Amino acid sequence: MEVTFSQLDDTVARFVLSEATHAFANTLRRAMISEVPTLAIENVRIYGNTSALFDEMLAHRLGLIPLKTDLSVHAPVDSCACGGEGCPGCTVIYTLSVEGPRTVYSGDLIPQDPEAVPVHDNIPVVKLVEGQKLVLEAQAVINKGKEHVKWQPTVACGYKNYPVITTSEECDGCGMCVEECPRGILAVDSGAVSVLDGRLADCSMCRLCEQACLSGGIGEEPGIRIAADETRFIFVVESDGSLPPSEIIKHALLYVKDKSHDLVGVLTEISGGIADEEGS
Amino acid sequence: MIPVRCFTCGKVVSVAWEEFRQRRDAGEDPGKILDDLGLERYCCRRMLLTHKEIIEDIIPYQ
Ligand code: SF4
Ligand code: SF4
Ligand SMILES: [Zn+2]
Ligand SMILES: [Zn+2]
Repeated sequence: MEVTFSQLDDTVARFVLSEATHAFANTLRRAMISEVPTLAIENVRIYGNTSALFDEMLAHRLGLIPLKTDLSVHAPVDSCACGGEGCPGCTVIYTLSVEGPRTVYSGDLIPQDPEAVPVHDNIPVVKLVEGQKLVLEAQAVINKGKEHVKWQPTVACGYKNYPVITTSEECDGCGMCVEECPRGILAVDSGAVSVLDGRLADCSMCRLCEQACLSGGIGEEPGIRIAADETRFIFVVESDGSLPPSEIIKHALLYVKDKSHDLVGVLTEISGGIADEEGS
Repeated sequence: MIPVRCFTCGKVVSVAWEEFRQRRDAGEDPGKILDDLGLERYCCRRMLLTHKEIIEDIIPYQ
């Protein structure tokens, strides 16, 4: 298995995973989405709300605000030493107190832990007019995306197979596929069609080029063929800012590793040691 | 109020709303503003394109 990054920054990671199976690629995708813990507001105590939004609505909006998460500081509530009661090791308390007229922004949330600030401080929560007021205390906890989307560290997170484009002798360089391609990655060069340099990964495998070629009356076989490489995957992992993409990938891989170990353990147990010998 | 995140992909689109509204009202092409704001997926683009702010209409009925 091999991973080649083409982009890795604070918000997006793009990489190609080679020599892998569909099962593994999907496991990794699902682990990144639903098994990497992050902070999100879970409980809100409203002391005063004379705004136009209901308390529930406000709590919902607050929950969706991404919060900077440091997994070395905070642990999931159910595995915390406090036993789920809530302590600084697993929860962060925020206070908010704003009087109108002005808009309440995510930046008005004052965290007890200065590291766990909202990722954006300009997310509008509610607009207040003269005389309206909002006072509340919010409790953020660490949990996983499988519990609720607000704990997902990823926004768009997915993969596609690496495209394989082959051209055949039949191609007469008429250029109809070039015009049809929505991604503009094809070109006719000295009487035959070819893929522009470095653009192969942009192919969406829509196969409009094949159809365009066939409709040109070339016969049974189009001059261009689109196939998918079943062992290479192009991943895009976009983070909501709570964790950098590199952390998300790392934690997801560790999760998959742990799960695999658990599986081997269980198999060993029920088979009386045979699985362990074969697995190692 | 503008939804905090895109309903489909979860990107935080609400941070772009204020600028989008101002520039749109100033007569700029919405497609171009969305490109500038880095909203490339059509799920996120429709969040801003189809949003109508009604909170000011509700406030008098508190
Ligand atoms: S499959 Fe679609 S994107 Fe890929 S080369 Fe053909 S027309 Fe272009
Ligand atoms: S692949 Fe088909 S449509 Fe494309 S240039 Fe060749 S003959 Fe024309
Ligand atoms: Zn605790
Ligand atoms: Zn979206």
